[in-house]
Amino acid sequence: MSILRPFKAADMFKFNNINLDIWTETYGIGFYLSYLSRWPDLCCVQEAPSGRMMGYVLGKAEGTGAEWHGHVTAITVAPEYRRLSLARKMMSLLEMVSEELYKGYFVDLYVRCANVIAIDMYEQLGYSVYRRVREYYGSLGVGKGGKDEEDAFDMRKPLPRDVNRRSVRPNGRDIIVSRHDVS
Amino acid sequence: MSAAALERQIRPIYDALDTGSNKSAIVACNKLLKKHPKNDLLKSLKALALVRSQKVEESLVLCDEVLEAKPTDDGTLTAMMHALRGLGRHNDMVTMFEEAYKKQPTNEDLGCQTFFANVRANHWKAAHQIATRMFKQFQDDRYLYWSVISAMLQAKDTNTPAAMRPILYKLAHRLIISSPTPSYVNADRFHLHLSILRELDLYEEAQGLLDSDIGKSICATNLSCNEVRRDIWLCQGQLQQEGERARNRIVLMNDRNWLEFLAVLDATLLDAAHPSVPTSTNLGSSKDTLTKIQRAQDLFLDVSKQDRLKDRSGPLALLELERRMRAHGLSQDSTRLITLLKEYFDNFGDKACCFEDLKPFLDLEESDLSQFTIFLQVVPAGFTNVSELRRLINAYKLLRYTLVESDITVDTELERAAAYVKAYFQALPLGVGLPSTELQHADDFALLAGNAYVNIWKLTGNDCHLLNAIYLLEFAVTKSKQSFLTRLILIRIYRLLGAPALALEHYRIMQIKQVQHDTLSHLILSRATAFSLAASGDLTLATECLESTQIYVSNSQETGDFVVRAFQSEKYSQIPEFISFEDQLDNSLQRDTVKIEHLRMRLTHEPISSDIIDMELIELKFIFDRIHYDNRDFAILPNYQPKISRDLNQQTLLFGKPEGHGWLQTFLKVYIRAFQQASDLDDTVEEKLLIGDRPKQTADFDRNLSLRDRLLQQNPSELANLTSDEAKLVEYARALADWLEPYHNYARPPPSVVLAEAAKQTELKTGHPLKGIEIPTINATNGHPKKDEEPPTIQEPPEFVLNYFDGVRARIDDSKSNSSPTELLHVATVAQEAFLLFLVETLRFKSPSVVKINKLSSLVATFNCLRAAAISALKDISAILIKRGESDGSSESLSTCAKIGDSTFASQIDHDFVFIHAKRVADSRRKVLEGVGKGIARICMTYAS
Ligand SMILES: CC(C)(COP(=O)(O)OP(=O)(O)OC[C@H]1O[C@@H](n2cnc3c(N)ncnc32)[C@H](O)[C@@H]1OP(=O)(O)O)[C@@H](O)C(=O)NCCC(=O)NCCS
Repeated sequence: MSILRPFKAADMFKFNNINLDIWTETYGIGFYLSYLSRWPDLCCVQEAPSGRMMGYVLGKAEGTGAEWHGHVTAITVAPEYRRLSLARKMMSLLEMVSEELYKGYFVDLYVRCANVIAIDMYEQLGYSVYRRVREYYGSLGVGKGGKDEEDAFDMRKPLPRDVNRRSVRPNGRDIIVSRHDVS
Repeated sequence: MSAAALERQIRPIYDALDTGSNKSAIVACNKLLKKHPKNDLLKSLKALALVRSQKVEESLVLCDEVLEAKPTDDGTLTAMMHALRGLGRHNDMVTMFEEAYKKQPTNEDLGCQTFFANVRANHWKAAHQIATRMFKQFQDDRYLYWSVISAMLQAKDTNTPAAMRPILYKLAHRLIISSPTPSYVNADRFHLHLSILRELDLYEEAQGLLDSDIGKSICATNLSCNEVRRDIWLCQGQLQQEGERARNRIVLMNDRNWLEFLAVLDATLLDAAHPSVPTSTNLGSSKDTLTKIQRAQDLFLDVSKQDRLKDRSGPLALLELERRMRAHGLSQDSTRLITLLKEYFDNFGDKACCFEDLKPFLDLEESDLSQFTIFLQVVPAGFTNVSELRRLINAYKLLRYTLVESDITVDTELERAAAYVKAYFQALPLGVGLPSTELQHADDFALLAGNAYVNIWKLTGNDCHLLNAIYLLEFAVTKSKQSFLTRLILIRIYRLLGAPALALEHYRIMQIKQVQHDTLSHLILSRATAFSLAASGDLTLATECLESTQIYVSNSQETGDFVVRAFQSEKYSQIPEFISFEDQLDNSLQRDTVKIEHLRMRLTHEPISSDIIDMELIELKFIFDRIHYDNRDFAILPNYQPKISRDLNQQTLLFGKPEGHGWLQTFLKVYIRAFQQASDLDDTVEEKLLIGDRPKQTADFDRNLSLRDRLLQQNPSELANLTSDEAKLVEYARALADWLEPYHNYARPPPSVVLAEAAKQTELKTGHPLKGIEIPTINATNGHPKKDEEPPTIQEPPEFVLNYFDGVRARIDDSKSNSSPTELLHVATVAQEAFLLFLVETLRFKSPSVVKINKLSSLVATFNCLRAAAISALKDISAILIKRGESDGSSESLSTCAKIGDSTFASQIDHDFVFIHAKRVADSRRKVLEGVGKGIARICMTYAS
């Protein structure tokens, strides 16, 4: 039970319970505003009836030709609200908008290879690894995950427009690119 | 030289500016300016480099020259734009673009720039006019929409008279329907259109748009448009229809947005909530209501059955329905609420948010409450899986939340704390295998224990309970490094116990950054002067103040750019949101509270001079004139106290007093009044010397009052925010200022003299005279004009001023034996602040010539007595602090602290661990006591005569 509503600039005053979590980065104001000033319809919040923020997603639409797609830049749920299908609902909104409004071919996202929970979740939701990106992230400095902490999986889920399912490849985990090859 | 060659030579200047090498940019400009002394681009680049190297006066001169020339080329305009923004001269920037656009009216890009300049300066009326003109000329629809939203923003602007607003909305409406293409071609245009119709109550027209296929499809994919749609339906009183629509979405599309459930609930109890609605007879309507309730109940039951454990909406909607029925006296089954609560707990008790979900339904009557309590008390204490654990945690939280007055005694709380601690250690093994990036499942038990210890501390006044909390919570963070909630309680407790360095340590580990500085820096900076070692040269906290305010600089530099971007990408729904965000951050209460805190610290380590006084005075006056928004986040603290007691935030506030608007207002008045007396700048002088635009007065005050009237106003609700020591300080400052005011006014040089001096200084610095100021010929000796009138008679100092430091001595005696040194530090630093205010107030009379010319030598003699008394008191205080620091840091005090580890965890946490943390507390106390003590001694020495 949660309210799904647009992400608003003033939510930056309220997102501490989500952002103090280690997996969630707090960026400069410009970061949030740049998303809102271009893709406000791909940015939304889940809110508890008490007014507390529970989680949010920030996304964008990018790419050219058959690479035109929706992209999940950040998705996060505060620790106390996890496992309530909030991420699932936000992802499905973002997929719906990417499909119906932006007419994209697929939705994709980057996730740390060490973030097993998130990867499991994305797989549950129909995403699969398309490729592995070397040193996509700076070091988190939290453990001995080695490469898995810095490398990212680029995971994709085809939308109906991707008739030939070009955004799915079975051996995605073995296809390795450098971060300079991706946008 | 050819233009191309010059261009080649200018390139490196841009590079230097881009890389922040302002100095080399200036050198390069100077070199080229020798050959091209009239080149505006070079001048404007140099002006920019000067602004960026803080050489404001010099850049002003250059900017004025370039503005005079009315440039039109892109490069110059852009460089000037940045320079003027850096100087806060938005109005000049607007004029510059307007002039340029006038000269080249067919230059579309220049039109846009001019429009944006007005947007940045919030000149909505002018923006509207420019956009209108651009639409006519360039025939691009988006300029029409720009003009529409500008009219709308003008209507929203607080400075627009109320009577103008509807006219502006109507104008916006007329324009938007004149658009060659319909607004629904794009969701954000559609959003704008709907918003205007909503403002004008044109619901039918709005309904027409919403009912169209395209309108429906926009609202289905765009949450913002859907939000306005919902609003419009509700404004129209179409709650019934909205309820039906929501029901359909829930049933047909499996929508589980809680807003849809609320819509069904609102529609269900519509007649009960508004019995006066003349729909049908009362009898009929109540029967009607019962049918509707039945229908809603069926819906929610169906949803619950369908979703089972996958979604909480159905069961919570049932609870909410029952709660509302009770509120309207419509409930038919007195046991239903309790049944639903139990069911909910059975189904979702293992979700972390179960406690929060149920909170709104816990205003229970005694019999219900005791039933629920018994139910929760038998929740098994199982520790074998996460689900059991969560149930127990939720049961504990709910039980604690619903405690009644008689349940809350020292003994019962001690028992509870022991139970939480026991559960914590029993639960810990369950999380052994978790990676260090994960939170431990057991954490909540430690947080509950932390809450209980704080409560016991409140009940007994005995600090050892806070120490217990520290030992347990410090242990808990070693097990759960990412538990910021644990750290938050620790931060609060360390400050209460006078160990600020340890609080800062935890704060830093949380990596507070960006906008979080605004919402969370209160944790470490509220009343931080009590812990500041600035006087003895350690600027840690003062630096923390400055760092936390960086975000306001980024806000004013960046947010405007994104407003412009939102215009460019036509995201109209975002523009008002960005503007109000910018405003809310710019006028943040925390920002200015930290400003005052920093000022208090600054005065302890920088020599008090007229430069500091003048600069701070101008800034404080601006702050005093603006409205403040409280963005501080207190909800982040893990509060698990009973709902009838004060919450964790209130319980752990330093000195038990919140800071807030009242605190800020009071300190602003104290400092503005003191600085104003000490300063030579009166309003006319300030006006001439001001560089940027004068900020708008947005604070809520009677505009007929003079600044002096406002400074003298005493508002009891403001004073309620102060500690008793702060209240005395305020009274002292007031008595001092009242007493000295006539002498300041008599001795202050007239504005013409002050201006002449300022002009002289500027000319010395920049080689140019100060613009717009004529230097009068002064017939004076030594810069001080002769007086015609006699000096005011010298009055004895007021009682309060005379006795203030005796009062302080008594307070020191009161507080020096408290086990926590926090209050002692507060009393001492407030006394130090009183002395610094005294120095500010008497600075003018340090100059022998001023005293002589104004015949004030007998006044100065009383100052010397007052100063000697203050210094003697402060020296004693300093000695007391240093001594206390030694004893707090001693091994005896340490072992008493370390001994009190609660027996319930004594067996779990080894003694060395407790000892280490006891020692850290002791060391931190010693450091702060010694530092503050030495700082006071240093101030006594610096200002000994
Ligand atoms: C990843 C994250 C967003 C998931 O949010 P969430 O709201 O808890 O996820 P949902 O409840 O919607 O889960 C959807 C499905 O994902 C899987 N899943 C999610 N969390 C899981 C976990 N901790 N363990 C196993 N599976 C999990 C489950 O299959 C779940 O379906 P189910 O609950 O019906 O079994 C959340 O854990 C989070 O905010 N993490 C920190 C930020 C982060 O890592 N973001 C991703 C960066 S790319």
